[in-house]
Amino acid sequence: MSNATIDRETLTITFERTLHASREDVFDAWTRPEEIAEWWDPTGARLAKCEIDLRVGGAFLFENSSAHGPAFAGVYRVVERPGKLVFDALGSVGTVALTAKGEATHMRVDICCASAEHLEQFVKMGVHTGTDRTLDNLAARFPRT
Amino acid sequence: MESTARLDLVFAALADPTRRAILARLASGPSTVSELAAPFDMAQPSISRHLKVLEDAGLIAQGRDAQRRPRTLVLGGPLRDVDVWLGPFREQWERRFDRLEGMLETKKRTRQEATEPMKETKAKK
Repeated sequence: MSNATIDRETLTITFERTLHASREDVFDAWTRPEEIAEWWDPTGARLAKCEIDLRVGGAFLFENSSAHGPAFAGVYRVVERPGKLVFDALGSVGTVALTAKGEATHMRVDICCASAEHLEQFVKMGVHTGTDRTLDNLAARFPRT
Repeated sequence: MESTARLDLVFAALADPTRRAILARLASGPSTVSELAAPFDMAQPSISRHLKVLEDAGLIAQGRDAQRRPRTLVLGGPLRDVDVWLGPFREQWERRFDRLEGMLETKKRTRQEATEPMKETKAKK
């Protein structure tokens, strides 16, 4: 269960997912170095380096083992186990909001950029997959919110 | 029109929840203005204004039927631009979250096997 939407006004890209795990488990997955190293790199490799100072104002650094893409580094702004995590990274603000949904957890990730140029830069930086996706599943991409 | 200027128009059009809902509706087929207005607590002129914005951005077009004037979604063109622009970024995060999902599943299974070894053996038989 997943979809992504973009809001040009607030320059925010939003991802939503329902995960079959408790909020505590999902929060751990986002904040324990040994766990985030396991899933962060989209290519499937383990992170070469993963440092987390989990407190407001604390820094983090996630470094891929492969050469592509810069390290993902930033500072935590809000640390509220098990419901909320906010961080500044690469000039954008990431917000992870976790809500209990029965035994599952609804995860909403907002990535808010400082400017349109920055958003574009951010998008370009993430380019290494070279995709050519079709326009299927359009309704899911622009959900009735 | 220059492609970045066109992209600006498209993003501005997509930045409104009502307009996104209209697009979602049109994704399942052409609709008349009154059909599109029905789910919203909004006067028809307001809906028409939203439709104009979508039309100017090239996201929707008017159908051939002169009586009903149904609106249709324009596939390709601007939507394709947005998709191409956003594709790699979205893909990267979606793939990341796929892996998060996988890791959480594995964790859950390992925990279940540890706490219910008897049940697990039985289920396998």
